[in-house]
Amino acid sequence: MSIFPWLVPAWLFAIGIYGIVTSRHYVHLIGCLTVCQSATYVLLLSIGYAWGAGPPIFYDHPPSTPAVDPVMQALVLTDIVVGAAVTALLLVIAIQVHKRRGTLDPQRLRPLRPDQ
Amino acid sequence: MLLPVAVLLPLGVATLLLVCAHLLPSRVSTMAAIVTALTVAAICVLLARAALAGPLVHWFGGWTPATSGRPDVVLGISLMADPASAAVAAFTCLMFAASFVFAWGYFDEVHSHFEVLMLLFLAALVGFCLTHDMFNLFVWFELMSVAAFALTAYPLGKSSLEGAFNFTITNALGSFMMLAGVGLLYARTGTLDFTTMARVVTAHGADPVLSGGFCLVAAALLTKGAIVPFHLWLSDAHAVAPSPVSVIFSGIMVSAALFVLAKIAMQIFAHDPPVMALVRNLLLWLGLATAIVGGAMAYAQRHLKRLLAFSTIAHLGIMLTAVSAASPRGMAALLLYMFGHGLVKGTLFMLAGVLLALRASADEIVLYRKGRDLLPAGIAMTFAGLMLGGLPVGLMHQATDILDELSPAMMTAAIVASALTGAAVLRAAARIFFGVSGAPGPEMTAPTERERERDERPLWLMLLPCAALLAMALAQGAAIDRFIGFAAPRLIDPAADASAPVAAHSSPTSYLPIALTLVLALLSAVRRRPVRPFPRSLVRLELFPFRALRFLHSGLVADYVAWMIVGFAILAGMLSWS
Repeated sequence: MSIFPWLVPAWLFAIGIYGIVTSRHYVHLIGCLTVCQSATYVLLLSIGYAWGAGPPIFYDHPPSTPAVDPVMQALVLTDIVVGAAVTALLLVIAIQVHKRRGTLDPQRLRPLRPDQ
Repeated sequence: MLLPVAVLLPLGVATLLLVCAHLLPSRVSTMAAIVTALTVAAICVLLARAALAGPLVHWFGGWTPATSGRPDVVLGISLMADPASAAVAAFTCLMFAASFVFAWGYFDEVHSHFEVLMLLFLAALVGFCLTHDMFNLFVWFELMSVAAFALTAYPLGKSSLEGAFNFTITNALGSFMMLAGVGLLYARTGTLDFTTMARVVTAHGADPVLSGGFCLVAAALLTKGAIVPFHLWLSDAHAVAPSPVSVIFSGIMVSAALFVLAKIAMQIFAHDPPVMALVRNLLLWLGLATAIVGGAMAYAQRHLKRLLAFSTIAHLGIMLTAVSAASPRGMAALLLYMFGHGLVKGTLFMLAGVLLALRASADEIVLYRKGRDLLPAGIAMTFAGLMLGGLPVGLMHQATDILDELSPAMMTAAIVASALTGAAVLRAAARIFFGVSGAPGPEMTAPTERERERDERPLWLMLLPCAALLAMALAQGAAIDRFIGFAAPRLIDPAADASAPVAAHSSPTSYLPIALTLVLALLSAVRRRPVRPFPRSLVRLELFPFRALRFLHSGLVADYVAWMIVGFAILAGMLSWS
């Protein structure tokens, strides 16, 4: 097994975190969060992958042909659904914050603290 | 089989309520929610009793391990009730029922959406406690998080939106870590079922991929469980969420994460030496650090809900030290402390809600003497403060007695956290309800906010659930000892047939927390403004550590995420070093 399936998710996660930590805009920050999430997709898909194997659909194959692991694909699918819900919720919050405060800069938006 | 009903009933009622939201008067949906919570509580109590004879397992769709036809291949997903998990689920339902009663009429104008979200939250928490499958655990974790995010943002105020944003970002990152961890565990073990995974982990022994997987899952659960340095989101979220929601957050959501962490560590990784070394050492020190940081921050707050939020962090530190004992007695202490703390903290958040509704503030300095005509609330708050500070009765005290016997570090955590948080609550109660106060100390410069909550509810209806919860926190007796004694070993190994001794000998040290609490509370009552140069420099010296701590709790989501990564690096570093 090559080392790339481990390196690529680690790199994606790291740049996502870098983006979140340095972000000056909520929407940009939410985008960076999505980058972090795609790191988990890549990791899961590469865990389930098998060289030379087909899709796990046995409609026109005999059931013993090698196939990639369908469990991991199911996990990724579920995660995409949940991720969409979280992103939508975050964007709604961002819109509401912008309505009330007129800014989306995290430096100027701190809960329970007076304006800097 | 009652087991799946415990999860499906609240999900079903939530869906029904959502469909009928525009037809039903909102009082009807509140009633439906209360009845559902109590029914599920009864089901979970029955499950806990039945599980004393042996764990109850339900395989969805009848996909038992035997159906796969191969050993160590599990195709199905299962729920499993051991006595402890079912008891925690029952406790969850009870807290929800109390919170629904407290919120009677609070959320009238939102077409029962509050009840729908809360019931989803309830189903997720019950599923989270009862599941026996790694990926299922992640799904409940996410459902719980999403419901919690929406409930935090519900008031749509300035702070609640920002608090909810920080909460969502940090916890979403946590759940990504959990998913990656679940993936790594599956990569090595080829299964998601707890029992089968435990068998493979025992056979593999120390393996870097398994350790990495545990590390990621633990980081996620420690984020949810608000342990230093993953804790920064909690004070923002709990302080700004509506009070009935804060009751659930502090009372059960965060401690359930630590409960599940204990369950995973004990049931799956009990025979993995590096992971167990991590649990026994690092988690103990993290717990101690959390108790000290949370206690000091709670003492230096003036906004009541923020004070309570930091006190929750401090007490979570105590619970984590109980997890790190990794023994049946440690588990017994964890369960007792979870129940006792949840009841007391739920009461306190309700009382903060009473003040927000009737006196339109939660700031102890603004509220000075404004609660003199709310005497029952004042008595309840004083009593809850004493319980938090280690009054030698009830569930929490029994747990700290066990911790005192287990190790000096655990005893220190319990004493420091109890004394600082108990004194802070007593100080606030004395100021608000009895008009007793010295000059404000480090709490003077803490952040605060002007806010209020709806006030159409009668006082007695709000105090009723407070009194009920406080009375339950006082429970002690042979029946509880026997149940916890049975449940604790079965939390570590569901097939165990031993029983752990729960009763601890009361030593003189068990009066130390309450004595310290009273001394600290008294000191803040006789405090005077310093005039001469020497006392002034002393006060400045006292302020310094609080200022430094407050500087770290910056309210910036970027800082929170950076600290999470630092925490993860500590976990991973310790694992690869040992």
